Amino acid sequence: MMIKRWFLILAAVVSLSGCGYNQFQALDEASKSAWSEVLNQYQRRADLVPNIVATVKGEAAFEQDTLTKVIEARAKATSIQVTPETLNNPEAFQKFQQAQGELSSALSRLMVVSERYPDLKANQSFRDLRVTLEGTENRITVARNRYIESVQEYNVLARSFPSNLTAKVFGYEPKPNFSVQNEAQISTPPTVDFSAPKK
Amino acid sequence: MATDPTTHAPAWRSKPHWHRLAAWLLLALAFAAMLPLPARAQMPTEAARPRPLAVPAPSARVIDQTGTLDSAQRAGLEARLAAFEQRKGSQIVVLMVPTTQPEDIASYANRVGNEWKIGRKDVGDGMLVIVAKDDRKMRIEVAKTLEGAVPDLAAARIIDEEMKPRFRNGDFAGGLNAAVDRLVGLVDGELLPQPEQRAGSGSDDRSIDWGDFAIFLFFGFFAVAPVVRAILGKAFGTMVMGGGMGAVSFFITHNMFISVIAGLVALIASAFAGSRPAFGGAGGSGTSVRRRSSSSGSSWGGASSSGSSDWSSSSSSSSSGSFSSGGGGDFGGGGASGDW
Repeated sequence: MMIKRWFLILAAVVSLSGCGYNQFQALDEASKSAWSEVLNQYQRRADLVPNIVATVKGEAAFEQDTLTKVIEARAKATSIQVTPETLNNPEAFQKFQQAQGELSSALSRLMVVSERYPDLKANQSFRDLRVTLEGTENRITVARNRYIESVQEYNVLARSFPSNLTAKVFGYEPKPNFSVQNEAQISTPPTVDFSAPKK
Repeated sequence: MATDPTTHAPAWRSKPHWHRLAAWLLLALAFAAMLPLPARAQMPTEAARPRPLAVPAPSARVIDQTGTLDSAQRAGLEARLAAFEQRKGSQIVVLMVPTTQPEDIASYANRVGNEWKIGRKDVGDGMLVIVAKDDRKMRIEVAKTLEGAVPDLAAARIIDEEMKPRFRNGDFAGGLNAAVDRLVGLVDGELLPQPEQRAGSGSDDRSIDWGDFAIFLFFGFFAVAPVVRAILGKAFGTMVMGGGMGAVSFFITHNMFISVIAGLVALIASAFAGSRPAFGGAGGSGTSVRRRSSSSGSSWGGASSSGSSDWSSSSSSSSSGSFSSGGGGDFGGGGASGDW
């Protein structure tokens, strides 16, 4: 009698751990920490932008349009409040991703344009900022990759057979993942036109 | 087309067991597809992610796939890196490849770094110097631990001041030597844990610990259980054994789950052991339990000894000059790239 009861308890414990509950905890936590690292690196970039802007402003004749775009994109990206709940809200996630994507393209445009200003290129502090920005973009890429991998692992668990029941019971939704921002732009082939050189 | 089903239909009907066989086969396939989920989950990513360039094995501190360095230059660089590792503990590897195309050198370097995980296991102080000769690009990839010692700017300066001018003149050995010199100087200024003496005691301890712990609990339980039961009586003794087992394992592992399991197992086992005389075939069941205990004990011992021998071999090989990665480096994209 006694033995049977204990055996039942043991079986319950083993089956609860066998249905992936503990794995959900581990993977959920892993994806959250991967997400924090992504935010951390985005923050690092946002902190870097004012320095870059200040340095570029020293170049009197610099394209004002490009510069204001960077400033605006940064303001937009930093205005979005990101909480851990953002992860469970695909819409907020999408918004955040789009704002960061705009800042990325504005910054890369700024770097391309800066090639046309020899004084700026020779400026040591601008070169340093450029290296730091490059390193930050690299780190963002790595952090995003890790987040993508951890979410993938989590989502596979949340959707595949025995463990999806656990996910249903405890309310573990699949998490949103990074996607390409301008899918429509990429899927249409660029038009190459040599006839009218721009500038 | 229209005649096909009619001609085939009799053939199918004449062998009805084909249907059943096919159904069974499908069912079996479905189960096979379902079971190894984690393994299958890996597959699509491996296929989807472009893996154009294979990561070479971390066989040496200087790996030259381009044949640029002659053997004396390679040995010289290798010796300096080995001496540095012995003195400071950090691992630096120089890798020369013809090209990283179609991948960017930064992402290739990051992949290599995270696959090799160079740097000590508990410290993670690794660094990678990669030269893609035909792309005319180089990169210093720094593990997270060393990002303070070698910030991106410092890496960029080393690339600009040491490597670039020498590489332009075709002096690859000189450029790499100068770069390694400055990297070593930067890491030397950083406070890192002292390099361990060759025994590699840290990891050894851990693996031995687990094996010892399991063996100790297993045999200790069988030795103590009858005594406790004799002193405290059958029911109370069983409870005490279960609770004690759980407490001991919680104290050692700090893992609630493991210790609860251990406690339950101990409870059941001592309850079984308590009712052993009532079974009649006491000798038989006793020996079977003992045999199982000895076999599982030896398997535990085997696991721990193989683990430790593995470690000692790797640490002894690192002392004898050939290279093995410490396995602790975590590369988060730090470092700098350049071209010439």
